[in-house]
Amino acid sequence: MSADDYKVTVAKDLADLIPVFMKNRHKELDALRVALAAADFEQLRQLGHRMKGVGNSYGFAHVSTIGKYVEDGARSGDRTALQASINDYQDYLSKVQITYE
Amino acid sequence: MRILLIDDDEDLRNLLSRYIRGQWPDAEIEAYDPLERDVPGATFPIGSYDVVVLDYMLGRGDGLEWLKILKQRQDCPKILFLTGAGNEIIAVRAMKAGADDYQRKQELTREKLLTSIRDLTASTVERTVSPELAARMEGHSLGAKLRIPGIKVLHLIGEGGTARVYLASREDDDEPLVVKILRHEIVMNKKALERFMEEYAMVERIQSRHVARIVSHGNYQNNVYLVMEFFEGGDLSKRLGGKPVPPPEAVKFFRELMFALGDIHEKGILHRDLKPQNLMFRRDGSLAIVDFGIAKNIAAADRTGAGEVLGTPRYMSPEQVQGRALDLRTDIYSAGVLLYQMLTGKHLFDGETAMEVAMHHLNTEPPLLPEHLEQYQRLMEKLVEKDREARFRNADEVIGFLSRKFEAVAPALVDKTQNLREASPR
Repeated sequence: MSADDYKVTVAKDLADLIPVFMKNRHKELDALRVALAAADFEQLRQLGHRMKGVGNSYGFAHVSTIGKYVEDGARSGDRTALQASINDYQDYLSKVQITYE
Repeated sequence: MRILLIDDDEDLRNLLSRYIRGQWPDAEIEAYDPLERDVPGATFPIGSYDVVVLDYMLGRGDGLEWLKILKQRQDCPKILFLTGAGNEIIAVRAMKAGADDYQRKQELTREKLLTSIRDLTASTVERTVSPELAARMEGHSLGAKLRIPGIKVLHLIGEGGTARVYLASREDDDEPLVVKILRHEIVMNKKALERFMEEYAMVERIQSRHVARIVSHGNYQNNVYLVMEFFEGGDLSKRLGGKPVPPPEAVKFFRELMFALGDIHEKGILHRDLKPQNLMFRRDGSLAIVDFGIAKNIAAADRTGAGEVLGTPRYMSPEQVQGRALDLRTDIYSAGVLLYQMLTGKHLFDGETAMEVAMHHLNTEPPLLPEHLEQYQRLMEKLVEKDREARFRNADEVIGFLSRKFEAVAPALVDKTQNLREASPR
């Protein structure tokens, strides 16, 4: 991913929602790890689906993109792809830079 | 105004509440978490809300089932149903189950949400409605009255200068479809009506997977309509969103467009109005051209096209700007302008007015592509040559160029050849 992919612009009036949003994303990351360890593909599919829905809404398009990969990976039971998506998500959450305007 | 938000995602509930309160600070919003609570029962005061926003996946419940249960109640208010993107069959089922509007959750913006709520609460919230809202309400009411055999018209999803566009479904199997209903002012305009009917006749003649599939057309109580396939992937304009597309993807889309042009030109048809809004994507990613409203039979264009200027200035060929007789190279030029936009995220030419943009097509040298896109420069030059004699002559030439210059497109060409081989009798 290029440096620009980690940059997100969020409307100023949503700034106070972002801490909760980010906290939930980190919880989601943990839930993804647990679900993959348990090979709970239905849970992974649901988590991916939720990421897909919520990411774009807040302007975090990459969350939606990874969500789609997780959903697809869960449908096909592809553990390797799921692990790669989770790693990608962890990397993204650790580096994302948010600007408010 | 009172709104009930039913969604299993806390962040979504927070976001939608914020959008609504930003517009209507006095709105009372109840966030309803379906992970904590069951479907609102008989004692739940559903009638005290003006609008319910209901998600289709509720974690441990099915939004469609909740919708059906809520709609059984006499006092059920208007329901805005949130569906998944690229899965219009859910929208079809929701509208058939009584939803009053729907939005694709992934694409739900502040503006879309507020517009939906404003439409749904027009009678209770606003004493006077804006002309735009009045037009939409007229459109909703027209759709509800329209009867097409085997087709259920469900919901107004778009309005253009010539037609209103509705989500519809085939009654047998809920397949999502689109119904275009020509505006009355166009029906009254003999020339415009002829154009619409020509569009149907031409598209039906093409029979290509790169062109929108027409299901039926007709006239119901002076409402001229066209039923066509629904494109779940949206249009190119949406894909672009003002940004560039990664070059391999841009070339892939462009290659698909060339196959489409090859097919329509082979049938002797010029499109003449290629623009991002007229390039649609199916769920499988394949691309199809729509809106042949100003398309012309090539022979007819040669004979009668001179002097007539139609099209969208941003994508017009120089000869189109001049009102000269057109041939298929006009579509090649417009496709080149589209490729430039896909690669750079910018328009080939900008201007304060449509006329200024059109004159650039005639007189201004196209800007060079940025350095990192240098490998596409020669292709671009051959597409947007002002002198059509120096341009690619047809889509086949472009496809040949792509296959020679860009490895990435070769497999697709092989696929096509293979498909043809498989389709041929042995």
